[in-house]
Amino acid sequence: MTEEQTMLWDTADRYLRDHTDFNQRRDQIAEAIYNQPEKWQAFAEMGWLAMPFPESLDGLNFGLREIAILAELCGQYLVTEPLIDALAVASTVLIRSEQAATLVPEVISGDLIAIAAIDEPTAGSRLSPSCTLSQTDSGWRLQGKKYWISAGASATHFAVLADSSNGLAWVLVAKNAAGLSCETFPTHDGKGGANCHFDLPVSDDQILLSGDAAAEALSAFRECAMILSSAETLGAAQAALDTTVDYTKQREQFGQPLASFQALQHRMANMLIQTELTRSLVYSACDAADHDSPDRGRFARAAKVKSAAVGRKVTQEAIQLHGGIATTDEYIVGHFFKRVTALETWVCSKGEALQEFIALDAKKVASANSASRH
Amino acid sequence: MNASSPLPTDSDAFRTAVRDFLSEALTPELIRAGERTTSVFSDFEAGRQWQSILHQRGWGAPDWPLEYGGTGWDIQQRYIFQEECRQANAPTPVMMGIQMLGPMLMHFGTPNQKERFLPGIISGENVWCQGYSEPGSGSDLASLKTTADHDGDDFIVNGTKIWTSMAHYSDWIFCLVRTDKAVKPQAGISFLLVDMATPGITVKPFTSLDGEIEQCQVFFEDVRVPADNLLGQENQGWTVAKSLLEFERGGQHFTIDLKKQLSKIQRMMSTETCRVSGDPTFAYRVAETQIDVMALEQTELRIKGSLTAGDNPGALSSLVKVSGTELGQCCAELLIEAAGQSAIPWQSEVLAPSYSGSTAAASESVTTMAEYINSRATTIYGGTAEIQRSIIAKHVLGL
Repeated sequence: MTEEQTMLWDTADRYLRDHTDFNQRRDQIAEAIYNQPEKWQAFAEMGWLAMPFPESLDGLNFGLREIAILAELCGQYLVTEPLIDALAVASTVLIRSEQAATLVPEVISGDLIAIAAIDEPTAGSRLSPSCTLSQTDSGWRLQGKKYWISAGASATHFAVLADSSNGLAWVLVAKNAAGLSCETFPTHDGKGGANCHFDLPVSDDQILLSGDAAAEALSAFRECAMILSSAETLGAAQAALDTTVDYTKQREQFGQPLASFQALQHRMANMLIQTELTRSLVYSACDAADHDSPDRGRFARAAKVKSAAVGRKVTQEAIQLHGGIATTDEYIVGHFFKRVTALETWVCSKGEALQEFIALDAKKVASANSASRH
Repeated sequence: MNASSPLPTDSDAFRTAVRDFLSEALTPELIRAGERTTSVFSDFEAGRQWQSILHQRGWGAPDWPLEYGGTGWDIQQRYIFQEECRQANAPTPVMMGIQMLGPMLMHFGTPNQKERFLPGIISGENVWCQGYSEPGSGSDLASLKTTADHDGDDFIVNGTKIWTSMAHYSDWIFCLVRTDKAVKPQAGISFLLVDMATPGITVKPFTSLDGEIEQCQVFFEDVRVPADNLLGQENQGWTVAKSLLEFERGGQHFTIDLKKQLSKIQRMMSTETCRVSGDPTFAYRVAETQIDVMALEQTELRIKGSLTAGDNPGALSSLVKVSGTELGQCCAELLIEAAGQSAIPWQSEVLAPSYSGSTAAASESVTTMAEYINSRATTIYGGTAEIQRSIIAKHVLGL
């Protein structure tokens, strides 16, 4: 890490350590509290919400490598605020729109929390939505359903992916808009999701992007989400490993600490090996994106595939190595397991990422072959 | 190019210079020896010849300090050199002297020992083997029983060493021997340099699963070794041997070979006649392996970066060893599956660098089966995967 990155890590780590209480988190979840304005305001004041934006919009102009630090810490501290959700949309969709000059400052101040609404009850909807944006006599109209919106309950707005006569479109809809019926529900990772039915008029300035620009924003959003979900998974896996190591050093059976048993030591060594390998890929995926490397797409997908597999394995092992205590809600380790499970399918699944990796790789091999022929 | 011509320092130009040298210096027979390598070692004579060519160019031991005949290259350049050698199918010489003993001699040797042994190591004239394991002492190395007793100015060595790679070709052996039985095991071990021509030494080779001979057992019966051949202080052998780990750090680049194997798999998948072309289940496994290799490569680079910054990667090298060898086994499995029946012919004569006739196996699969079979040894030698995991548990996780 650079000095700046270390400083960022230390500051964020200190804040989250001081302001995270596991029992308070459980109470908050039990009461279905999906927004804690004072916390979000603190994020804004620390500049976290300004990180991805250019200085011309009063942003801090940080790369994904720095944002991933926050994501990793969100995993470690089981942050329930929709930080990666909001930053991923704002830094790829809102920023590309003509309305960026108005919207981005509202993101930075914490007033606008736009969450992507991309999933629908039909397969493949993430890339080709059945939600429609159509021209009527009285103007634009958005119609359709978006389901299972992660962190949707924490949103002030939805960035809705729709189909239009001009191709894809991103439409910004306030959660309290007339014609939007929004059902919120708790999700298994302690956050709040949403199912939405849209049937409402849309003004020109709500249409953020359309056509090629919308498609481009979608792939940028997906890539960003793959990387940030990988980083958060990494943080959660590391925390689950650390918790397991501490616990096995203390817990005694057969008159000795669990940590003294080789069968368990080697499993923890495997957890470490896999977590470190994942770390390398996550950081490299950030660097590839930040330097706009020709390999950025492959790296993002590699990080997603690896982190999904490792996040699952490491947190499952964490539960097994703890034993019964880890199956209870009052013990922390199961919550890492639940969070990485939620991250597995958010925006892009491991299977989708793997298929896309294969396609990108075939392209790379083909172009290398044609280059070597010439 | 002659030995004194300077090398460009920027990495593209450096790579080109290395590539130019390799295309000039590698004869077709040397390349064939490289191509038909199925384990850590290439054909012995080809490897020895290549070491001598490298030495003449001044590149006999790129990792050594300049004063002992090294190159003065930085880590990046050494990596490029290794990568280019592999890409060009240069043979691999027997490296125990250069990689293992050399650095220990530089650190612990007397001026006389350095002068006496280092030149023969770097030129390839003296081949060294490593005498660590014994029939009763594998992972528990400190329990070793081969003894060295004082007799005037000499030691008298008795006992046996096993899994001694290339002992049947070696001129010298560096050994761990017990010089004090009264203290705790690690404290009574010394490090001895022994001429293989000394009376009382016999070598029994083992035929490995691939039908080749690399491993040997070495027997010592009243072998007289001058006390001058003690490396480091008496009873400090364990410290000497352990320091090797520090010299080895950052020196292992598994991904160079792994990427080469993966390209071969992908080449095979793209041929229509290949058993696995168009098999999506195979394609998924290859892709997941590729992703794991990318992760390991980025980890190797991360370690290299921390070395440059002066940190000690410590037990991270165990992580790299475990992942690198296990991924190598995974690639070897994918390769035999891609080759299918075309890899069943078992003709060891075709592996000789001088062989230029036809082969019963498909030409791209001549080495596939032997490589797969030999890959099983990689998680056993150099500290088993279990020992590496225990090192990680102890030194990284503090268990």
